[in-house]
Amino acid sequence: MSPVTDAVAQSAQLGWVLGVMTVAFLTSFVGWTLWAWWPSNRERLDAAALLPLEESP
Amino acid sequence: MEAAPLSAPRYDDASVRRFITATVLWGIVGMLVGAILALQLAWAPANLGLPWTSFGRLRPLHTNAVIFAFTGNALFAGIYYSMQRLLKTRMWSDTLSSVHFWGWQAIIVLAAVTLPLGMTQGKEYAELIWPIDLLIAVVWLVFAANFFGTIAIRKVKHLYVALWFYMSMVITITVLHVVNNLALPATLTRSYPVYSGMTDALVQWWYGHNAVGFLLTTPILGLMYYFLPRAAQRPVFSYRLSIIHFWALVFLYIWAGPHHLLYSALPDWAQTVGMVFSLMLLAPSWGGMLNGLLTLRGAWDRLRTDPILKFWVAAITFYGMSTFEGPMMSIRAVNALSHFTDWTIAHVHAGALGWVGESVFAMLYYMAPQVWNRKLHSVSLATTHFWLATVGIVLYVVAMWTAGVTQGLMWRAFDEAGLLQYPNFVDTVRTLNPFYWIRLLGGLMYLGGIIVMAWNLYKTATSDSSNALEA
Repeated sequence: MSPVTDAVAQSAQLGWVLGVMTVAFLTSFVGWTLWAWWPSNRERLDAAALLPLEESP
Repeated sequence: MEAAPLSAPRYDDASVRRFITATVLWGIVGMLVGAILALQLAWAPANLGLPWTSFGRLRPLHTNAVIFAFTGNALFAGIYYSMQRLLKTRMWSDTLSSVHFWGWQAIIVLAAVTLPLGMTQGKEYAELIWPIDLLIAVVWLVFAANFFGTIAIRKVKHLYVALWFYMSMVITITVLHVVNNLALPATLTRSYPVYSGMTDALVQWWYGHNAVGFLLTTPILGLMYYFLPRAAQRPVFSYRLSIIHFWALVFLYIWAGPHHLLYSALPDWAQTVGMVFSLMLLAPSWGGMLNGLLTLRGAWDRLRTDPILKFWVAAITFYGMSTFEGPMMSIRAVNALSHFTDWTIAHVHAGALGWVGESVFAMLYYMAPQVWNRKLHSVSLATTHFWLATVGIVLYVVAMWTAGVTQGLMWRAFDEAGLLQYPNFVDTVRTLNPFYWIRLLGGLMYLGGIIVMAWNLYKTATSDSSNALEA
């Protein structure tokens, strides 16, 4: 292949990698957000927020 | 939560006291060297004509002292203090705590000797020569072992968000330090990096930017999430937001390093990746800033009387300003003006003096009375410190912003014939000189504030038992 077509092929492969990474990272971000705001986690996380305020024994 | 009862002496506060003492002492040294450098830039004879006292050798001493000695010791003090209380357990190993403390001080002393002697790797913020780098790796792993050992023996199941921020520092700094310092030693004081050319530059700025991210930002944010609720006596505004803040911040930060290499030989796409991730960083950064400021909801009136809250609010505000400015400066068109100018110096000092410094002072004023079991010697002196520090930073930063923009505009100015309007570099230097004196004044005020704090904390620690917190 010529250097130009070689570069295009590499760029296309890189595009796939970047696309898959974008989907994976976005999914994990949405996952963390859903987990943090999931109603069943509310009580546990609200209690966790009070940890620094517990008196030092 | 799932806490077991525990008596006070079971916490290792001796280590916290040591790290606080080291923070104050190295803070004075680091800021003093900074003031000397400011004087040298305003008045060249202050270089004294000696190699050991020249700007080029003292500058890395200043940056290393402030980043690794002042901030490093402060981080360790805050982490040792807060993690024991959040996990309701003593540090895993007193021996490792001691080795960590004395090992870290030995590294700082070695840096203070080798840098003025001109022994350097020539990598910004990673100047120390390879034997010291090995010592840093060992001491850091000692800290890491103690940190994770303490988590393993914890008596509280939930890892509060502050601990996640600390963890990100422990893990990421290990990777950054080892990868960036891979080198082949030639002699005891000289080595050659395993990378070359653009690869070396990219690795260096992947390290440099994330040293800022994971030593000066994430751990301080973690400390904010512990010490701010303690000082304000109310929980963080949104614990859920703090979780998203953490994951978004650590994910985005690690990719932003290439913004230090805009318009360089680095491939264009990599520069763009750095720029885009820097811009995206604005979201979690401001999420964290708002989470901090909104934690004070209903407690704003206490700002009138409580210097600790004053320091926190100023620190978080500077964090917001710096994390807006940073992404803007990573945009190519803005960077074309700001790069290599004093604008960068303004940016880094708004972050270091404003965000990091004022957060550290807030922590010290909170922790010192607790670990020495004495009431703070003087609230009014702490308030004086706050105003000295804040006005000092404003003078410093405004002077350097003005100098930087002036410098950038002069460098790119053309006359009617299309020639450089200021072809002689000295033209800009002479124009900037008055701003350098203002910078020195601001720096001296900041240094003066730290000396006031040192006196205040010394009097606190040495006062008699009639001044005890639980008298």
